[in-house]
Formats: sequence, C-alpha cells, structure tokens
Amino acid sequence: MKAFLAGVALALVGCGGRVADPIGASADARDVPAHRGGTLRTATFADVRSLDPHVSLDGASGPVLQLLYATLIKFARPGQGKDGGNFAPDLASDWRVADDGRRVTFTLRRGAKFHDGSDVLAGDVKRGLERALAAKTPNPGKSFYERIEGFDAYSSGKAESLAGVVVLGDHELAIDLTEPDATLLSVLTMPLVAPLCPSAGRAWDRDFGQHPCGAGPFSLNRWDAGRAVVLDRFDGWYEPGKPYVDRIEWSVLVPPFTQRLKFERGELDMLRDFSESDLSLFRRAPLWKDRGEWEAAKTVGGLFMNTEIAPFDNVELRRAVQSALDPDELAATRPSTVRPASRRVPSGIPGYDPRPGAVHDEAAALEHMRLAGYPFDPGTGRGGYPKEITFDSLGDSFYGQAAEVTQQELARVGIRIKLRLLGWPAYLAETSRRHLVSIGTDAWSADFPDPSDFYEPLLHSRAIAEEESQNRAFYSNKQFDELLDRARRATDFGERVALYRQAEDLVLRDAPSVMSYSIVWFELWQPYVRGYHVNALRQQDLATAWVDEVARGGAAKAPISAFLPGKPRPAAIALRAVPFGGPR
Amino acid sequence: MNLLARLASMLLVLWGVVTMTFVVNYALPGDPARAIAGPQARPADLVQIRKAYGLDRSLAVQYALFAKRLVHLGPSHPDPRDEAHRSCSTFGALHLDLGTSYQKGKPVAKLLADRFPATLLLAVAATLVQVLLGVVTGTFAAVRKNTIFDHGTVALTLLGISAPTFLLGVFLQWVLAAELRLVPLDGYGATFGERLGHVILPALTLGLFGAAYYTRLVRDEVLTQRAQDYARTAFAKGATRARVIGVHVLRNALMPLVTVVGVDLGVLVGGAIVTEKLFRWPGLGALSVDAVADRDGPVIMGTVIVASSAVIVASLVVDMSYALLDPRARGAGK
Repeated sequence: MKAFLAGVALALVGCGGRVADPIGASADARDVPAHRGGTLRTATFADVRSLDPHVSLDGASGPVLQLLYATLIKFARPGQGKDGGNFAPDLASDWRVADDGRRVTFTLRRGAKFHDGSDVLAGDVKRGLERALAAKTPNPGKSFYERIEGFDAYSSGKAESLAGVVVLGDHELAIDLTEPDATLLSVLTMPLVAPLCPSAGRAWDRDFGQHPCGAGPFSLNRWDAGRAVVLDRFDGWYEPGKPYVDRIEWSVLVPPFTQRLKFERGELDMLRDFSESDLSLFRRAPLWKDRGEWEAAKTVGGLFMNTEIAPFDNVELRRAVQSALDPDELAATRPSTVRPASRRVPSGIPGYDPRPGAVHDEAAALEHMRLAGYPFDPGTGRGGYPKEITFDSLGDSFYGQAAEVTQQELARVGIRIKLRLLGWPAYLAETSRRHLVSIGTDAWSADFPDPSDFYEPLLHSRAIAEEESQNRAFYSNKQFDELLDRARRATDFGERVALYRQAEDLVLRDAPSVMSYSIVWFELWQPYVRGYHVNALRQQDLATAWVDEVARGGAAKAPISAFLPGKPRPAAIALRAVPFGGPR
Repeated sequence: MNLLARLASMLLVLWGVVTMTFVVNYALPGDPARAIAGPQARPADLVQIRKAYGLDRSLAVQYALFAKRLVHLGPSHPDPRDEAHRSCSTFGALHLDLGTSYQKGKPVAKLLADRFPATLLLAVAATLVQVLLGVVTGTFAAVRKNTIFDHGTVALTLLGISAPTFLLGVFLQWVLAAELRLVPLDGYGATFGERLGHVILPALTLGLFGAAYYTRLVRDEVLTQRAQDYARTAFAKGATRARVIGVHVLRNALMPLVTVVGVDLGVLVGGAIVTEKLFRWPGLGALSVDAVADRDGPVIMGTVIVASSAVIVASLVVDMSYALLDPRARGAGK
C-alpha cells in the first residue's frame, strides 16, 4: 500500500512536462544491415472502415490499403520518379503516354504475384478496374476515372465491359481516354482501382473486405474490427528480400494521449497522432529533437467568399479580405503543425509554386475597403462594412480556431464577422447550397498528387451546383476554366504547371477564396526502427522499414507483474511523469 | 395478465422510440452519402452512392422498407450469398434484420452481437464497483454522522459527481497504468482472464462516478430509516448497532437503490460513450457515437433498439424485484 501511495505521489509531483527517452538509442551506433524479422506496432486515432480498396477513401484505411494492395504505379517524391517524373513503378515496370495523350500503355512487371500465389496479369488489372467502376460498386471516387473510354456506359450498367481498358497481352495493357487527361497517372496511384486476386471475381461483393487479397507487400493476418489490423509479410512480393518485418500491428481508435503513453512504454514503435503540446515536448527534448520526419504538406485551409451574393459579389471587398489575412499570425497559434501559405497548392504536391501569392498588407486592405465603398478608419473605428457578416466554420476543430483569428484580422479593416460554428454535416450541407452562405472556412486535402485537385473541384464553374456545390465560392470565370481544361489535357508537366500558375494569378486577382495555411504532420519512431522514411503522399509506408531487435532489447511489453509496487522497473523502459491535463 | 399488459406497453414504447429515432435521423442536417464518400466527394459520386444505399428514396419508403425488413419470416438456413437475407439474424424461420452498416459494410446485428459481451462485462463490473463502494461508504458515513469521516465522504462524493468521466478516466489511466503499471492502458484483451485485467480501469472510471451518487443516496436513506420506529424498537430490544443497521435498516434503505441500480445498469448496457472511447473498449457506446458522427443510419437504429430495450427490460426487472423484496408491493399487485 505504501508503495502504491508513493507511486501516486511521485506521479502527482512529477508533472515536469518531460517525455521518456528514446528506447534502444544504441541502434544509432550499430552498423547492422537491413534484415528480416520482428513486429512493427503503430496506431491511429481513427478507425479503418473497410479493407476493400474499391469502396474505401478514408484516411485511416489508406495506409493499410497501400500495404495490402499494389497499384500499377505509385507516387514518388516530386521529380524523383521514373525519368525524373513524379511516378515510380509498382505493378507496371514501364508506361508510355501516346503523343496525342489519349492512350497510356503499361508494361507489367514479370513475377508479380497476388497473395494467393497467382500471377498478376493484364487481365487482372482490367478486372480490377471493372470491378471498381461497375454500376453496383459504391466506389466514392469513381468520377476520377470518368475520362476512360466507355466509362459512362460501363459505370451506368449499359455496357458489359470497360471498352477503354484494352488487354494487349499477359503483361501489356492500354488505357484509352476520351480526351487527354494528365491526371490519369495520379489517380492510378490510388488503391481505388487496385487489382485484386482472381478469387475476388468481377463483381463487387460486400464480404471481400473481410478477407482481402491483393498484390501488396503484406497480407492480412486478422482484422479485429475497432481494435487492430494485423498484417503479415507477403514473401511473394515482387521486390526480393522485402518487406523486412514479419508483422505489422496497426491499432485503431487509440486516443493521442494513450498513443503517447504506449510509445513511451515501448508498446508502440511509431507515433503520428500528437497533441500540439506533446509534439512540442518531443521536438524540444534533447534526445528526440533530431529524430522523426515531417510529412509533405498536402492540406491547405483558408476561407471562401460567395461571389454571387452580397457583400462578396463586390470584388474589392474580397480583395480587402485577402489582404487582411495574415498567415503568420494564424500559424503562430499552432506553431508545430500549421504553416503559413499564400497559394492553393501545398508544398508537398507537384506543381507547388514557392513564390509569394496572397500577401498580408493591411494598408492595401484598407485601400480595397475604400474602393469597395466602405472606407474604414482604424484609428477611430469609424466606417467599414455596415453589417455583421456570418462566417460558417467548424466547431471543435482547428478550423474554428482559425476562424476566430480571421474574425480579429477582418475587424482591423472594418469587416465585422459573426462566427457560426457547425458540425461537419451541417457545414457541408449549408456551405454547398447556392445563394446561402456568404463566407466560411475552406480546406482541401489532396485526393491524389496533382495540382488539378486543388483547382478543378473547388473553383471550376463545372463544380457549381444548386445543392452540394463543391465550388463554394460559386466562382465562374471562363478564362480560368479554359486554363484548367488546357492544363488537364497537356501532356508536358512543365506546361501544365505554367498553366496552373496563370490560373492562380486569376484567383489572386479575383479572390474568390484565400488559402492561408497548410497543415503538416510529423512522424516519430523509436531508434530501433530502421530504414523508414515518410512516404511522399500518404503516411506510414512501412514496406522498407526493419527492426533492430537487439537495440529494442527489453522494450517489448513487460508482464504486469514486473511493475507491481515494490518491484524495480525493467531498465530498458525509460518512464517519466507526463503532464496531467496537457495532452488531449 | 398484468405482465402481458406490461410487455405489450414495453413493445409500444420501443416502437415509439425506434420510429422517433428513424425520423430524427432522417431529418438531421447532413448527408449520409457524404459521410460514406467523404467530405471531398464529388456530386456525381454522391449520386451513385445514394442510389446504391437506397438513400435517394423518400422517408416514408425508407421507413416502410426498414419496418418490413426488421422482423420477417424466411428460410431457417439462408444461403450466405442470398442478398435478401445476408444481414439477417435467424431464429428458426423468424428473421431479425437491422440492415448493413454503411461505413463498416457488415450486418448491424453481427456488429451488435460482437460488441454486446464487452458492453455487458463493463456494465456489470462498473455496477459492482459503484454498488459496493456506494453501499459501504454510504452506510459508514450515516453511522458516523457528523464525524470527519462523514464530512470527508460527503465532500469526496461531491467531487466524484462533479468530475467528468473523461477527466477521471485520464487521471486513473495516467496513475494506475502509465505510472504504476498495475493495469493495462487500454484495450480489451484476447482471453476472458485478460479482459478481467483490461476492464478494471473503465469499470473504476464509471464506478467511481456512480459510487459518489450512490454513497449520498445510501447515506440519506440509512439516516431516514434509522430514525424510524422499527429501528428504535430494535435498539430498545437490545439489538446491537451492527444488527439493527445491517439487518433492519439497510434492507429498507436499499429499496430506492434497487430502482436506481436497475435503470443505471440498463443505461450502461446501452453503452458508456466517453469511457469506452477513452479506454478503447469495444462496446456499444463507442459504436453508437461513431455511428452518429458518420450518419450510419442502420447502426444508429440498431444501437438505439438495444439501448432502449435494455432500459425497458431493466425497469421491468426492477418492478418485479420490488415484489420480491417488499411484501407490501406483493400485496399491492393483487
């Protein structure tokens, strides 16, 4: 009892805001070649919804799906892919885009196998595409592939097969397009159309997600719904000797605070879901500060202004808002994970433009207010837009916090904002309805690694609808539309980037929406996890990671009896008091 | 006959709750198709998702289909490939069909059946904690009225009632699991033995919160009963304090507690949302809160049916147990 009380007392007084030391730091000095064996344990706060790649587009399932399934090609770091491009081979060892941009021919890798041992052939790729795009398959991203020849007839159930996917041989396949589509390669990196084992058949089956079978580096051992996904190494993977680890245990629905405790106890090897305060603690800790990697930025946030209704049908007022926003001020509220931004395409996406875009300039904002007909004197507080404007944002999230900063910034130039914080469903329903919401939070995360994804769904006039409009600014500009359409058809990436930059100039001039911050994620892992690097687009690509079990030593979960009061703790586990109430 | 009438009224209440939930779920802002496809889904994809899940139909049609499917007759051993009965739970020819989860793609009845044992274990464990702690501390506080123990207990129960479970849970997790390592941090365990270890933290979190309330309830009841004539008579006849309190007073003082415990147990069977989330306890509470966030209609309906049934059944059991515990209640029923 005394030991118990002493432990409680120690815990209570030990709120020093420290984190445990890395486990197995001796791995840094060990010159050990990559080798097989061991188990990697990681976690996420979200739940894996489905392991059927053709119906799953949620963030938590993505990293698991990319381990279970191989795709024709995969995304590389910008400029580091095949021929200096943005894509690297996966099941396809090579691909060629026809001069007119309407046919892409893939040569499949020989020796690639599915988890059931059968060879991956061109017919399997076609079967996968047809299963994914069939009328009865509730694929949430079907329209990404709408330019494949015969898509409309096939996806509506009027055709038996997808005419635009042509099998040229066991290892050769062509995809024909109705018009050149530069995003095709990008959307083919998504598991949404991944080839499945022959046993999956041609028709979608609800139960497939319970016993998935693909051609990825890992196969499913078991899926304890709501608890964990356990993957085993697939020894038939096409890259000899890889992957390294025998097993990956992926716990789900683990709150960030619990993840941190488990990471410090050595029950998790990797950590990604940090609270702001925890991330700050780890980044400041001397033994941790040089460890881990930032993921490439692929999410931007800011605000939209409805160009069709008052008061933001007045372009000068929109420009005033654009100039009034201070990305640095916003980023300072969450310095660990929020970066200032001034353009739509985030830095992790090919085509990112590092030049300054929307620039914070309060004097310019005041001048735009004058030109809009609402002069404002910051000294006296007189003038400005006469009415309070309702701003729709999301409660209980960073977006709501960002909206509060925006509220203060706009007040300085004479625009009074009343915040309306909504839940996701209400926010999406309201802001996407025509002639209803004049200003609100805007944010976008890359569906696929292409700059078009940050323009077309959000600002092309095709994206305007009476209900469920993705173009929440209801921005319509023929010149802008033409630039986007040309960029989509262009086969040269440099030409496309130039076109998107012209389009961006129009957005900066017309200011229908302003993206002022980018959200980034940090990944941290124990020193005994080796060979791991953050994936270019999605988090936690574990195919190349291996475990130095000697360095990990006794960090594996110790029996509870070892921790009973009065018994010394195992030396391998460095445990420190954690701040109570700090982490969420 | 009385029991039959009671059962009929219970079914009526259940039907009312289910219908109301169906209508409210339909009327809520937000689109289940968007919850399925994601906030960035394109309109064309939303249209086909709605069609695939029957969400493009009117409220009346959706409700009629739900009601028709909920309880129906069918083959005793349906073919697993038969889509018409894929999500059914069969009881001979009687089928219970709660549909298929939009998000998880599994039959709702199976999801509920998978999670029910975890919820039941936690509900029973938490109830045990709160009853044992509440009765013991409440009785001692009453017996030692106006002592430091009594004042301390009252103050502590106030703290216990005021402290939100998520705060208490995080505190217990930090002290008992992270620092002292007496229990696992979270999770469910693979065997029943492991689960008994894993249930300690969530049961304590829920139980301490409930025990605070029970302590106050028992204390007040014991004080009231101790002032009754029958207690004074027992003392006058020379019975010891332990006997008067333990045999006579406590038996009467616990009557109101039975009602509260019954209803609380019913509520806990419906799921302890915050605690289950915090400790990753795979019960109905976590399932229901996820379902609401995801607008997963079939799962919402399934969890509401289970939760409502649990409370209704618990109320019935409480009423019946009154008759057993209190002879006057038996007489009143005649």
